[in-house]
Amino acid sequence: MIPKLPVRGTALWRSLIALSVVISCWPAQLMAEEIHATPLSIPNTVSAINSSVPMSQRVVAYNIDAKYDPKTHSLDADEVLTYHNLAGQPLDTFPFHLYLNGFQPKATWIRETKREGTRDVNFEKWDSKDYGADDIKRFEVVGQGDLTSQLQFIQPDDGNKDDKSVVQVHLAHPVPPDGYVQFRIKFHDQFPETLERTGWKRDFLLAGQWFPKVGVWWHGAWNCHQFHGSTEFFADFGVYDVKVTVPQNEVFGASGIEVSSVNNGDGTKTVAYHGDDIHDFAWTISPRYKILNDTFQGSMGPVALKIMMQPGHWDQAERHARILKETLDRFERWYGPYPYKTLTMVDPEPGSAAEGMEYPTFITGGTNWWVPNGLREPELVVEHEFGHQYWYGMVATNEFEDAWMDEGINSYSEVKVLDSIFGQKGSVLDQWGITMGEHDIQRNEYISVADLDPMARNGWQYANYNSYGGITYGKTAMVLVTLEGVIGPDTMQKAMHTYFMRYRFTHPTKEDFLKTIEEVSGKDLRWYFNQAVYGTQILDFDVMKADSWPSDWYKENFKEKKGETEYDTEVLVRRKGEFIFPVDIDVKFDNGEKVREHWDGQDRWVRYMYHKKAKVESVEFDPDHKIFIDRNNFNNSYTAEANMAPARKLTNYWTFINQFFAQFLSWWMV
Amino acid sequence: MANLIASATHIAGRNKRYVVWFYLMNLLLALIGSVAFSANAHGILDHSLYADQLLHGFNLGAFIELLARPEFGPLSTSAIPAAMLAFVFFFLTMVFLPGVFLGYASDHRISRDEFYRTCGHNVWRFVRIFFFFLLIAGPTAAILFGIQKGLLKLADTSTYEKAYFYTHVACMIVIFIILTAIRAWFDLAESDVVVSDRSAVRKSIASGFRTTRRNGGRLLGSYVVIGVVAGITLFVGLALWEMIVPPGSVLGAFIVSQAILLLLLASRFWQRAAAVSLYLQQQAEVPLLEATPVRAPVTEVPVAPQVSGT
Repeated sequence: MIPKLPVRGTALWRSLIALSVVISCWPAQLMAEEIHATPLSIPNTVSAINSSVPMSQRVVAYNIDAKYDPKTHSLDADEVLTYHNLAGQPLDTFPFHLYLNGFQPKATWIRETKREGTRDVNFEKWDSKDYGADDIKRFEVVGQGDLTSQLQFIQPDDGNKDDKSVVQVHLAHPVPPDGYVQFRIKFHDQFPETLERTGWKRDFLLAGQWFPKVGVWWHGAWNCHQFHGSTEFFADFGVYDVKVTVPQNEVFGASGIEVSSVNNGDGTKTVAYHGDDIHDFAWTISPRYKILNDTFQGSMGPVALKIMMQPGHWDQAERHARILKETLDRFERWYGPYPYKTLTMVDPEPGSAAEGMEYPTFITGGTNWWVPNGLREPELVVEHEFGHQYWYGMVATNEFEDAWMDEGINSYSEVKVLDSIFGQKGSVLDQWGITMGEHDIQRNEYISVADLDPMARNGWQYANYNSYGGITYGKTAMVLVTLEGVIGPDTMQKAMHTYFMRYRFTHPTKEDFLKTIEEVSGKDLRWYFNQAVYGTQILDFDVMKADSWPSDWYKENFKEKKGETEYDTEVLVRRKGEFIFPVDIDVKFDNGEKVREHWDGQDRWVRYMYHKKAKVESVEFDPDHKIFIDRNNFNNSYTAEANMAPARKLTNYWTFINQFFAQFLSWWMV
Repeated sequence: MANLIASATHIAGRNKRYVVWFYLMNLLLALIGSVAFSANAHGILDHSLYADQLLHGFNLGAFIELLARPEFGPLSTSAIPAAMLAFVFFFLTMVFLPGVFLGYASDHRISRDEFYRTCGHNVWRFVRIFFFFLLIAGPTAAILFGIQKGLLKLADTSTYEKAYFYTHVACMIVIFIILTAIRAWFDLAESDVVVSDRSAVRKSIASGFRTTRRNGGRLLGSYVVIGVVAGITLFVGLALWEMIVPPGSVLGAFIVSQAILLLLLASRFWQRAAAVSLYLQQQAEVPLLEATPVRAPVTEVPVAPQVSGT
């Protein structure tokens, strides 16, 4: 209720109001003068990149000074964040991610993980070691004072009031367009025992998503999602200067380039790192890392490769260096230059959930001491995480909303790179006569959840974690490999190159990507994108019938004679799924003749009739094997004569296992 | 130990037919257990060109896709009958083993009638021995695996990565040896039940325990050596399978795989022969009693008064 002003003495009241307005504006004017007096800016440093000018439109500059306590797995830090308002409008509200707060029992990350599981944990039981926190001790806005008490946790995605992974502050004085604002934040981190690729394990630490990080002003609004069980991250480009004080015996690695390492004389050292044109910063320590230094000669300059291996995996260091260089070589040739001066590859502590993660210029691999050469798990992980330097690191898509654009496009690159290095058939596994290609992995991931979710869906809104993985990684990779068959591999590569060069150091949308492909290929591909990207239609071709019979079957005393008897042949094929896709069909006859049909796939089925002096031998959809999104490869072909050898071979394996199991049981029991 | 293995080899070699019969039973039951799997596989693969991915080479991706096909059915439809028939094999082994023990213990080829009579006569005894075995081996295994779990948890805290692996291997070796010792003990008990025709199986178990304790080194050593031979057979056999059999050769794969299984089965019968051999040696030994001189009863003979000259 608004109080009513007295009628008498109106002039006095007016004077008082005017005075109060002046008084209230006075500090703001003073502060504005103060801000003006020390003009803020984002540094134009280029020491961490092979370029004489900044490569991104820098929005943020983080300056963090942290001290880590290995006994409590916690750190205390001072963060100074300078923000450049490029929103084109005044900004008076700023949201911040506090990702480590996701590791609390009632937080959204834990809730969703408990419900769906993730790659690493299932949360059968809550363990106090799983607790993580990012507590803001003091929050000051330069020129506007201490706003700690005004911080407010918000839950824009699910309204879970117990979730503290996003905090918001409202400024009394908006930051004008093209203006700057500086936040001075004192915070305390408690790391969990590695969860979601961050935290400690034994005496190892990987610090990822460890500091208060401002959201992204994107398409006219703040984009700052809560931390979800399946989603990753999104942030603006800028400059990072980070100092971390750790015990003297620790081997340290981080995003960016090392600036200094100072022995403090008290058993600790302070290591300083600097990063340009990056949008996140991670670091790691362990007293046992062994370092392999190598160099890749990139098109923009040398790239120092720092490979931080576990001592027990030292014999695989060269293997890691080799795949890194081979991958870098292909990415540079196919997509564009890698501009950073460094790349740090971390082989994390065995058994930690820190494997297989990407941060700008800093990735984690994943291997075991026993991995044979034919099992290319280390290569797969390193290749994939390096690929994120392009699809996430530089082309910084919104991982919350368009997970397929980083994970999926990257999985497509992974298929291409690993195939080109190791061959399609055994690019992931080629050991003891057993093979598996990267295609097979991605395709199997996809077909297990093929019609559950579309690619174009917010990362936290998938039916379950399997669907998130199967669609964002597997389906996207297969959709793009199949698209290659539609527009041609060369055009596809050109389109990917154009997309990278055009959108590096920006935050493109899904339509930016799709339109680039259409533009480069010169084709209207909406028919494909609407089904594959925005839809959940299934593609499943099926040979229903392939049969030949003598044309003179009705004549008495008729005898068949190979090469002379004329046959009528019927081939009936159908489209079982809803996905409409034009396809080639090969019909082979027993005289060696082959007929290639092209079906537009519009109708549910099509019948082909032939009259020849030969019987049908086989029918095969997609004989050039360009389609990878067909849900069932087994029914894509049909041979007139049965070949029982494959089933017999598998039955023999199965019988062997049965016999062995029976013998094992009897060996011990009687 | 070498003598025991040699005599066991002799006994097992003299009675090869048992291994062959048990092997055929094992194969037949497994083939029956594979019918569902076979039917599912034939239904999908016989007319598909894509099946070649599984014939010439082994594409794991294609195999996973095959198992995931709804028309293949859940793997349980193939696994459950197979598992049940494995239990049938175990049960039939229990039924027919008494005849094998008798055959091993005899110095002549026992008649079919003797074989089956022995089997029928001892089947209930073997069932009881099996339950005693479960009573002993079950808790022992539970305790051992519990200790292993604790040690592995401890090893997991080590910064030496292989500590976990080596702890695991060491524990498995210890568990293998202890369970093998228990198995040897009960094999001796089974020998005793059959050869002595003892209906009170607990006495046979006690007797087996005593024999095991007295001859622990010899018997356990023989069992472990034969077990290691079986392990090597499996390893080498699988390696040969991979190296010499062309991926498309179904017959070649069948022959090599069955040879491996036959040799594995023979190894277990070799162990049983070692138990029987030891048992017979124990029976043949006559307890040696040390002869102690029997003292004649001492009687006081009155000394006659000496009569001097007449």
